[in-house]
Amino acid sequence: MIQAVLADDEVLARQKLRQLLREIPEIEIVGEGATAAETIDVVRATKPDLLFLDVRMPDMDGFDVVGELSTPGTQLPCIIFTTAYDRYALRAFEIHAVDYLLKPFTLERFRSATQRAMEQIKQIKQNPQAGLPKNSNGAQYTTRIVFKSKGRILFLPVSEICWIGAEENYVRICTQSETHLLRETMTHLEEKLDPNTFLRVHRSSIVNLQYVKEVRPEIDGEYGVHLLNGQKIAMSRGYRSRIKNWLER
Amino acid sequence: MHPLVFISGATSLGLLFALQEWIHSRLWNSHLSLSLLMKAWGAQYFIWGVLCWVGWWTLRSHIYNADWKKLLWFFLPLSIFVSIFEEAIWVQLFPQLPMGKPPMPFLQRLSFQLDAELVDSLVIFWSAFFLFRSIGYYLRFREKERIAAQLQSQLVHAQMRALRMQLNPHFLFNTMNSISSLMRTDVPAADLMLEQLSRLLRITLHRGDAQFIPLSDEMEFIEMYLAMQDRRFSGRVRQQMSVDPSVHDALVPSMILQPIVENAYAHGLSRLSTNGLLSIEANSQGPELRLTVTNNGVGILPATPKNGNGVGLSNVRERLLMHYGGEHSFSMSQIDGDRVQIVMTLPLRFAESPIEQTTGYGA
Repeated sequence: MIQAVLADDEVLARQKLRQLLREIPEIEIVGEGATAAETIDVVRATKPDLLFLDVRMPDMDGFDVVGELSTPGTQLPCIIFTTAYDRYALRAFEIHAVDYLLKPFTLERFRSATQRAMEQIKQIKQNPQAGLPKNSNGAQYTTRIVFKSKGRILFLPVSEICWIGAEENYVRICTQSETHLLRETMTHLEEKLDPNTFLRVHRSSIVNLQYVKEVRPEIDGEYGVHLLNGQKIAMSRGYRSRIKNWLER
Repeated sequence: MHPLVFISGATSLGLLFALQEWIHSRLWNSHLSLSLLMKAWGAQYFIWGVLCWVGWWTLRSHIYNADWKKLLWFFLPLSIFVSIFEEAIWVQLFPQLPMGKPPMPFLQRLSFQLDAELVDSLVIFWSAFFLFRSIGYYLRFREKERIAAQLQSQLVHAQMRALRMQLNPHFLFNTMNSISSLMRTDVPAADLMLEQLSRLLRITLHRGDAQFIPLSDEMEFIEMYLAMQDRRFSGRVRQQMSVDPSVHDALVPSMILQPIVENAYAHGLSRLSTNGLLSIEANSQGPELRLTVTNNGVGILPATPKNGNGVGLSNVRERLLMHYGGEHSFSMSQIDGDRVQIVMTLPLRFAESPIEQTTGYGA
């Protein structure tokens, strides 16, 4: 059972969280806070795994709460921000918040956030000092990307990306259900992604190998990458050796 | 104006006169001392320069506004007084003049000079007076023009805002009505629609007052809008979008496509029970950006005030005209019987400053 604390100065907002959490039996509410000070006290007393935190509260903001709570030696709960303001998303991302829900949100969106939180909590419980794969510079590969798309903030785990296509100064990130246009370059994105999972197969495409069904030669002698969802991505000669190396491992 | 402008201007004028008289005297074989001429003429005009500056400084607004009465009762006596005053100072400074005459007392010299030069002095006074007056007119004219230009741009801005606002409300209210209806039957769907509406509003708010936005932002908005329309028309309409990657960053007037898409739904697609098709294309053609919206339905309906046809579109036309003048085209045509196609071509422009980056990476 995962224990959660709700922090929001509005009664109706807390009520909505309670109602939505009823749909998720794995999470139990152990406390609520209507102000930042109250929230800090409740979290210190109950030591929850998960904290639903509003950014704007009457006395201090949500980030101050996180600052107060992150004292050495104590385990900070996983945090899901719930707010009407989109401008704090990058800051939330930087303090490793699990997700950033813009009000109003749907049960579906809420469920995906709590799902991620539960996975993360499980991981922490199994292996508190889990390391992440490093790239050649010794920096960690990104496991999530944060960006604004279609009036929303997304903390997108890279594992959900099926493939990425270049469109001039932009890249199109395709997940199972959606596509997002980001102002970014392929090279920069490629550097951020773990090469064990993401493979550049063409000057203008990167595929997530987890979603690759097969690589097939086409009639014209070129190869095509077929994804699990049926999409086909062209592969260029120059990049073919890379996928060969990967297949032979 | 700085006093130096008056004094140096007048003094150099005086020196030029001195030079002229000197050359003149050389031609007639009489030899006047150049230095004395320079001193005398220079001093005379220097005094005028100072007087003009004082006049400008103290009487400027009276000079601008003087009517006939004031001219007659104030400036005419003033001109005579100033002229005599100027001559008096000058005569005091140069006791050796006029040359070739026996030494005379001050008043006699003054009367001699006035006899010779009072008319010249009056001419100088009135020239300065009318020069100042025309400068005044010019400044006022410039000010008026500036205010007019400012008003014009304010007006255009206000009109733009009004036009943009006109596009939103009924869409907003229709959506709220849909949400209200869903709340009774399908709460998750109502929730979803509310969330989508919030996302649309967030995008709109983010743009603020920006008149021009990158096409990719406009398309993002259109995608959201289409997602909501799709829900209302529950999959009866197939949507196709193709944007050439090279024009993602092209600047378009904010909210330029939405009214066209809204129009396509209101007057075409909503009348079909199956097989609706809406397609949006954007590409570049030389120096132009070409945007095409095609929908099937019932062809072009005659515009009547009753069905509201054309209000959204005439807004689009007006905004294009205000932004681009003659540098754009807008056409609506019927193709293959029942399809309506709207084609816009705009000058292809890109943002000068780089577009804000809001992507972050991390664990």
